Amino acid sequence: MAESARPVRRRQVLASAAAGAALLALPGKAPAQGGAKKLAGVTLNISCWSAPYPKYLADYIPEFEQATGAKVNYETPSFPIYNQRMDIELSTKSDAHDVINVTFIYSGRWIGAGWVTPLTDFLSDPKHTPADWGGDDFLPGATAAFKDSQGRLCAIPWIADVQMAGASRYDLIEKAGMKLPDTFDEMAAMLKAVNRQDNTSAFLVENHYGWSFIPYLQGFGGDVFRKPPNDLMPLLDTPEAVAAADFFCNMLREYGPDGVLSYTYDQVVETLRQARANYSTNNETFLVQMGLPESKSAKTCALSLMPAGPKGRFPNVAAHGWGIPVGSRNKEAAWEFITWAMSKELGLRMFRDHGFSSVTRRSIIDMPEFRQRMMINGTDVAKLYIDTLNLGAKGYTVYRTVPPYPPVDREIDIAIQSIVSQQKTAKQAMAQAQQNALMQLKRAGVKL
Amino acid sequence: MAASKAAGWSAERNRAFRLGLSPALLVLAVVTLGPAVYLIVTSLTPLTPVNPATALDFSEPLQNYSSALTTDEFLHSVWVQVELSVVTVLTQLAAGLGLALLLDRPSRLLEAVRTSFLMPMVLPPIVVAIIWKVIYTPDISPLHHLLAWFGLPIHSLITNANTAIWAIAVADTWEWFPFTMLMVLAALQMVPKEPQEAARIDGASAVQLFWHVRLPYIRSTLVVAALFRLIDSIKAFPLIYVLTDGGPGGATEVTNYYAFVQTFNFSYWGYGSAIAVLIVLGVLLLSLAVNRMGGEAIDD
Repeated sequence: MAESARPVRRRQVLASAAAGAALLALPGKAPAQGGAKKLAGVTLNISCWSAPYPKYLADYIPEFEQATGAKVNYETPSFPIYNQRMDIELSTKSDAHDVINVTFIYSGRWIGAGWVTPLTDFLSDPKHTPADWGGDDFLPGATAAFKDSQGRLCAIPWIADVQMAGASRYDLIEKAGMKLPDTFDEMAAMLKAVNRQDNTSAFLVENHYGWSFIPYLQGFGGDVFRKPPNDLMPLLDTPEAVAAADFFCNMLREYGPDGVLSYTYDQVVETLRQARANYSTNNETFLVQMGLPESKSAKTCALSLMPAGPKGRFPNVAAHGWGIPVGSRNKEAAWEFITWAMSKELGLRMFRDHGFSSVTRRSIIDMPEFRQRMMINGTDVAKLYIDTLNLGAKGYTVYRTVPPYPPVDREIDIAIQSIVSQQKTAKQAMAQAQQNALMQLKRAGVKL
Repeated sequence: MAASKAAGWSAERNRAFRLGLSPALLVLAVVTLGPAVYLIVTSLTPLTPVNPATALDFSEPLQNYSSALTTDEFLHSVWVQVELSVVTVLTQLAAGLGLALLLDRPSRLLEAVRTSFLMPMVLPPIVVAIIWKVIYTPDISPLHHLLAWFGLPIHSLITNANTAIWAIAVADTWEWFPFTMLMVLAALQMVPKEPQEAARIDGASAVQLFWHVRLPYIRSTLVVAALFRLIDSIKAFPLIYVLTDGGPGGATEVTNYYAFVQTFNFSYWGYGSAIAVLIVLGVLLLSLAVNRMGGEAIDD
C-alpha cells in the first residue's frame, strides 16, 4: 500500500467513516453471513503511474480493504517507468498485476494485442455490476480509446486529460497590460513582456515533448502522421512542422527557466505552484493544482484554453483508464476494485476532498457543485474543460493511440531537445526526426 | 603389460574426471551459454512481443545488424560511448593516482581520509545518481547557489549538449576514482624502499622520484586499473538514466542506453538483441586487447 504523507483531516475521517458505512451497505460488497468478507484472502496488485488521481486514491484504499477483506498492494511509479514495466509485464501475459492503468499512448498497442481483458461481460452482468453503477455515464470521448476492434470496452477511464493553459502569476501579465493569450502570436508577445519579472521565468512545459509540442505542431498546420490510423507516413519534416518546432523551441529557450529541458511533469507542477515559472500549456489536472489552498500561486493563478495557432486550436485530449491484464488470476476481484474506484460516490468524494476535477463521469461534471467549485479566481475551469473535450472530439489526437507511436514520440523528444540545446536547427532536427521515425516504423513492421 | 595397465588406469581416471565434471559443465553451459545463444538467435529475428510469431521469423536474419550499422542514432551512441569511456578512464586514473600519492604516508589521519574517500564507491549507483541530480539541478543545487554567490553563475550542465557528457563523467569519476586510488595505493606500498632512499640521497626531486623510481613499479597496476575501468565504463547506465535520460537530443545516449530504449521502451527485442550482440563483440575485442596489454605491462 502506498503511504500518503498528507495529514488526515477530521472532515476526511468523518467522510471516510460515512462512506465506509455506505460501502458496506452496497449489495455484493457487504460482509458475507458469518462475518467472512467477500474478498477475504485475496491480494490485489494494482499499479498506476504517479499522477494526482492515483495519489489521492491511495487515501481511500484502506476503506476498500476494510469493506471487502482484500489486501491491496498499490504502487505508483513515474510515467515512463510505469509504461516500460507494464509493457513488458503485459507482453509476457504475466499475472503480476490485477488492476493496471491502460495508458492512452499505449492503449492501441495493449488492447490491440489482446493483453487487456474486455470488460463488457462484467459491465453487463448484474452479479458483478449494480444496475445503478452507471457504466454509460462515462464521457464517450474518454472511453473511445479503450475499445477493441470488436467495440468492447477494455478500460474504465479515470481521467480525461485535457490540455489548457495557465499562469501562476497572472498579476504580472495584467501588470504588463495583457491578458491570457488566445493565439500563439499573443502568447509570444506576453511571454516577452513578463519574462524574468519578479524572478519568474515566463514559460515552462514538461520535457515530454511528444506530448507537449503536438498542439503547436498541429496549430501550425502540421501533424505527426499523414492520416492515422490508416496512413502512418510521418510528417515531421514539413515546413509547418519546422515552423512549429522553431516557434516552440524559441519560447522554451528564451523564456524557460535554467535547465528547462530537464523538467518532468511533476517538477513543472511544483514550479508553477511555487510561482517560479509563470505560464504553461499543460494538463488541466496539473494546472488546477495552482489553485489549491497550499499553493503559493493560489491567489494569482488563472487558466484559459490552449492558444490557437495560425491553423486552429488543437489541445491534447487523452484518457487513462483502469483495466485488467489478461494474465490476472483475480479478475472478478479486480473488477470489484474498479467498480469501487470508479463509482460516482468515490469520484465525488475525491473531488470534494482533493479538488480532483478531471473527472470522466458526465453526471459529476453537470452538478452545480462541480461547476461552482471549479471557478478559480474568476475562471470557469469546468467550462474550459468541456470546451476542450469538445475540441478533442474532432479526432485530431488519433495519432497518439496508433501502436507504433511511442518510438516516434521519443524521436520528437530528441528533436526538440536538439533544437533547444542548439545542437541542430529546427530544419535539421526535424529532418533527422523524420528519417528516424521512418526507420522506427519500418522496424515496427508498418508498411508505408 | 604393466604399461598397458597404467594406461588403462589413467584412461579410467580421466573418464571418471569427465563424468564427475559433466554435471557442473552442463549446468554452466545451460546458465551461461544458453542465454547467449538465445540472444544471438533472437538477434536474427524481428522479435517483438506484440507479434509472438516474429520469434521464428528468420526471413531476413541480418536485417537488425544492417539496420543498426546504418542508423545514425546507433553510430552516434558508439561515439558517445567512446567519448565517455576515454574521459572517465583518464580522469579516474589521474584522480586515483594523485590522491594515492598524497595519501601514501603512515598517518592515522590519512588512514581516516583514505576510508572516507572510499564511500562513493560503496554507495548504490542509484544513490550516487540522485546525489548528482541534486547537484546539477539549478533550483536546488548547492553548487549553483555557491557559484552564484561568488558571482560566477553557471547554467544547467546536464541540459547543455556541450557539458552534459562532462557532467556525467565528473559524477562517474567521483564514484569510481576510489577504485584506482585503492589499487595504486596497494602498489605504492609494494615499491621497495631502497631505490627510493638511494634516489633521495642522490638528490632526486619528488617529481623525479615518482617518474624514475615509483612509476615503473606501479605501471602494470595502472594499466590493469585502466583496463578494468574501461570495460566497466561500457556498463554506464544509472547516471545517464537519472541525470539526462540520454539527452539533450541524444548527447549522452551511450550504446547500452540506446539498446535499453529500443528493447524496453519500444519492445524491439530482436533489434535490441542485435545491439547487445554488437556490444558483447566490442567488449570481447576490448578484453582481448586488455589481456594483451595487461600481459605486456606485467612482463615489463
